[in-house]
Amino acid sequence: MADSDGEYIEASDDEYMGGGGSYGTRGHGKGKKGQRGDGRAKNAWELSAKTGLESYKESADGTIGKSIQEREEERKRKRWLVNTMLDAVKMPRRRRSVDLSIYERDPEPGIDYTMLPSLPYRTVSDPPVPRAVLLRKWLRKDTKAFQRGIIRHVVLVLDLSEAMLEKDMRPNRYFTMIKYTQEYVREFFEQNPISQMCVMGMHDGICIRVSELSGNPADHISAIQGLRDPKSSTSKEPKGSPSLQNALEVSRATLYHTPSHGTREVILVLGALLTLDPGDIHKTIKSCVQDRIRVSIIGMGGRMHICTEIVSRTNSGDESGYVVATDQELLRELLLATTTPPVIRSSVPTTDGAAAPAESGASLLQMGFPSRVIEDVPTLCACHGNLTRGGYTCSRCKAKVCSLPATCPGCHLTLILSTHLARSYHHLFPLRNWIEVSWQRAREKGSKQCMSCLSDFPEPPSSHTENAAESLTSAANGAVAAATSHIIAANGRQRSGDDSNEDELATASESFRYECRECKSHFCIDCDVFCHEVLHNCPGCLGGAGTRNDEESADTEMNG
Amino acid sequence: MNAIDGTDRHIKSTDGPPPSLLTIILDTNPFAWAHLSSILPLSSVVANLLVFINAHLASGNANEVAVIASHNKRTAWLYPTPAPVSAHNTNGDSSSRNGAATHTQNANKYQPFAEVETNLLFNLDNLLKTTTSDDLSTTTTQIAGALSTALSYISKSTIRHSPVDPTLLESHALVIDDGNLTSQRVNLVSRILVLSVSGDLASQYIPVMNAIFAAQRQRIPIDILKLAGDTVLLQQACDATGGIYMAPESPQGLLQYLMMAFLPDATARKWLVLPSAGSVDFRAACFCHRNVVDIGFVCSVCLSIFCSPNLPDSTCLTCSSVLSLGGAITAAPALIPRKKKKRKRVAGDGSTPGGSATPLPGNGTPVHP
Ligand SMILES: [Zn+2]
Ligand SMILES: [Zn+2]
Ligand SMILES: [Zn+2]
Ligand SMILES: [Zn+2]
Ligand SMILES: [Zn+2]
Ligand SMILES: [Zn+2]
Repeated sequence: MADSDGEYIEASDDEYMGGGGSYGTRGHGKGKKGQRGDGRAKNAWELSAKTGLESYKESADGTIGKSIQEREEERKRKRWLVNTMLDAVKMPRRRRSVDLSIYERDPEPGIDYTMLPSLPYRTVSDPPVPRAVLLRKWLRKDTKAFQRGIIRHVVLVLDLSEAMLEKDMRPNRYFTMIKYTQEYVREFFEQNPISQMCVMGMHDGICIRVSELSGNPADHISAIQGLRDPKSSTSKEPKGSPSLQNALEVSRATLYHTPSHGTREVILVLGALLTLDPGDIHKTIKSCVQDRIRVSIIGMGGRMHICTEIVSRTNSGDESGYVVATDQELLRELLLATTTPPVIRSSVPTTDGAAAPAESGASLLQMGFPSRVIEDVPTLCACHGNLTRGGYTCSRCKAKVCSLPATCPGCHLTLILSTHLARSYHHLFPLRNWIEVSWQRAREKGSKQCMSCLSDFPEPPSSHTENAAESLTSAANGAVAAATSHIIAANGRQRSGDDSNEDELATASESFRYECRECKSHFCIDCDVFCHEVLHNCPGCLGGAGTRNDEESADTEMNG
Repeated sequence: MNAIDGTDRHIKSTDGPPPSLLTIILDTNPFAWAHLSSILPLSSVVANLLVFINAHLASGNANEVAVIASHNKRTAWLYPTPAPVSAHNTNGDSSSRNGAATHTQNANKYQPFAEVETNLLFNLDNLLKTTTSDDLSTTTTQIAGALSTALSYISKSTIRHSPVDPTLLESHALVIDDGNLTSQRVNLVSRILVLSVSGDLASQYIPVMNAIFAAQRQRIPIDILKLAGDTVLLQQACDATGGIYMAPESPQGLLQYLMMAFLPDATARKWLVLPSAGSVDFRAACFCHRNVVDIGFVCSVCLSIFCSPNLPDSTCLTCSSVLSLGGAITAAPALIPRKKKKRKRVAGDGSTPGGSATPLPGNGTPVHP
C-alpha cells in the first residue's frame, strides 16, 4: 500500500496548492450497497482518491453550486458516489433554540437536491409558533424508560484541520468549537459524573491526543484551552486535513481497555467535508462495530456519506447520531444533546457479517459513600500527600481523599457521592408526559388553579357557546389568554410526522391545563415544563393528590 | 470624575435589595409532634413561625412568603390558600382567596401580617381536622412532594417576576452571558426553609434527590431546621444547595434560631459568616431495604444501590439485568487506562495498511516528508 500512500500525499499537496479552502469532498464509499472484497477494496480506494482529486481540481475555482453539479455528473459517469449536501446554503437560520427535533430528521444522504425545498424546515416567513407549543415540543424527548448507559467512556474528537478556519461561525469555527467544547465538558461531567472522557484532535492528517482518559473535567478543559493558547506548548493552529480513519483507530485503541459494563463512545466534531485516510476506512468501521464502539458525528456545513455510514453501522442502523450544525447556536445544542446517556440496545441486528457482541456486560460494582470530615489539625491526604483540613474518608480503610469521585489510593474502592449516582436517576425513571386537557375534562374536574404553583386557569366556557365564551375569556384575561387564538390556530396546522413517543402530539392544551395521568392533577404549562425538564418529579403524585390511585402513586414514589 | 460625566449611570439599574420569596415547608407529621409535645408543642412552633414570617415580610416591601405543610400522606398549602375545587366561580387574585379565609379586620394589625396569619391558621386547622386514621397509617412525611411543590411555585414566581422571555429555561440561561439578561432573570431571590421533625426519609430517596438537583440548578438554597429525626437526606440537601443546616440542642429557643440563622436571604448571606455544617453524612439509602449504607453495591446499568451483593438470581431488582459479580469483589472498576504498550499494539494491528500514517498516541510526527 505504499502506492496508496503516495497518492494520499500527492492529493493533499495538490489540494492545498489549489488554495480553494476546504470544501473539496471526496467520497470513497461505494454507497450503501455493502461489503466489498478485499482486493477490490484497495482498487476502490485508489480509484476514489484519483477521482476525488480530479473533482476537486475541477471545482477549485468554481462556485460551490457548480461543483455540486459537476459531482452529480461525475457520480453518474463513474459510479462513485460523492455525497455532499451543502444544505447550509438552503437551510434557513434557526430562530428559536427550542425546535431541535426538526433538524434531527435530516434528509437521506444521496437524495436528489431538488427534494430539499420540501423538507420540513421552517422558513422565516412562517407564522410564529406559540410558546406553549414550542415548550411542549421541547419536552417530547426522553420520557420512555430506556436503559441508558450511565457509566460512559467517551472519546471526544475535535477537528483541528484547515476547515476549522472557516468564518461561518464567529470569530471562526475553531474558536467557537473550543469555547463550546469546554462548556460541553463541564456539562458532560455534571450529567455523567462517573464517566470517563478523553479528548483528541484531528490535525494535519493524524490524530493527536489532547488529554488522557480521565474523569476530571478540569484536565480536559485546561487541555482544550491549551489548544488555542499561543503561549502554551500544546497549542495547535488548525492545519491540514482530518482523517476519520486515524481518529477512529486511535479512539478504538483508547477505549480498548475500558470495562465492559460501560459504554464506549466516540463523539466527533467534524468541520471538514473530506477525510484523508491512509487505508480502508470500512475495515476500521467493522472493527469499531466489533469492539461495540458507538460513533456520533457532529458535522458542519454539509453531510458526508461516509459519516452516515460510520454512524449507522456503529449504532446498529440508527443514523440519528449524525447531525450537522449550521450555525454556532446549533453546534452548541448538538454538543449538549450528547450529554444525555445513550440508550442501551438489547439485541443488535446484524446487518453485516461481523456479528456485534452483546452490548454490555452488566455487573455489580462495589462503591463506597464516604462522609465528609472537618478536622482541627491539618493532616496529609492520601491522594496527593498535601496537608488539608478536611476531606472524605474512605468507607473501608479510612484513608482521606480530597475530592470525589475517586478511587481510594489505599484499597482501590471506588469512592463516590451518592448524589453523583442520583443525578442519573431521572434518566432511568423518567416522569411520564402529561396530557392535554379538553374543556370538557376541565369542567369535569373543576380545576381552577395549577396544582403546584396556584396560578389561575381560565374558566371553562359554557358548553354550547364555546367559541363565544372563548373570545370573552380571552378579552377578560388579557395577556394570558391573548395567545389562545394563536394556539387554536396552531392546533389546526399541527405538523404531522412528529416523532413523539406513545400516541401523543406536542400540542398546546386548549384549556391551558395539563394532566398527570397518575394522580389526575392539573398543571399549568410552566410547571409542566419545569417538572419534566428540571425537577423530574410530579408534585401531585408525591403530594398524595391521587388518593384514589394509591397503589400507583406509591409505586412512583418508589421509582421516582 | 465618572459621577460628573455620568458614565456610571448604567451600572445600577435597581437600588435596594431584590424581592425575596421565602417558602417554608412545615413538617406536620402528627407522630413526631406528639413525641415532641412535652418540649415544644406545635402551637408554639406556629406562633414562632408567624413572628418569623412577619419579620421576613417586614424586611422588604416586595418580600413574599409561601407555606406548605408536609403531612403524612399528602402535602397541603397553608399559605396562599388554594381555591377549593368546585364548579363555583371565583374572581380575584391568588393572594386573597374567598371563602374560608375571611379574616376580621383588625385596625391594630398590619394588613399583610393579618392575612398570612388568618390563612395559615385556618388551613392548618383544616388540615388537622381532615386527617383521618387512614392518613396515619404511615409514620413518615411527604417531604418530597412538599419540596417539589415548593420548587414549582418558586419557578413560577420567578417567571412572573422576570421580564425575560420565559421560554429560556434555567438550563439555557447559559447562552446569555452578556450579564444584562442574566441579571434580570435572577431578580427574585428565593429560598426554602424546611422545619423538619420526621426521620425515615430514605423511602423517598429518589424524588428527594431529584428535588435537590432541581434546587441546585435553580440556585435555590434549602435551609433545614431539624428538630427531631435522623439527618441523612436533608443534610445532603443543604450541602448541595448551599443552605444552612441546624439541629438545635434546645428546641425551646426556636424563635431565636429562626431569627438569627434563617432570616437573612441569599442577598444578605453574602456578607455574613454562616453556621457551617461541619462534617456531612453522605451515605446513601439502599434500594432493597431502604437501609442507609456507606459501602454499597451498584448496578452498572441503572445505578441502583444494594446493600449486599447476594441478589436473588443475581438480577438487578430495579432493571432486571443479569449482573456478574466479578467486578464487585475484585476492586478497581478500572478508572484509568494502564499499560501504554498494549495500546500501541492494538493500534497497530488494526486495519491500517502500511501503518505509517497511523500515529502512535502522543506521537506528533506528521506523515508528510
Ligand atoms: Zn489530595
Ligand atoms: Zn480505602
Ligand atoms: Zn403551575
Ligand atoms: Zn402526578
Ligand atoms: Zn438493602
Ligand atoms: Zn439495575
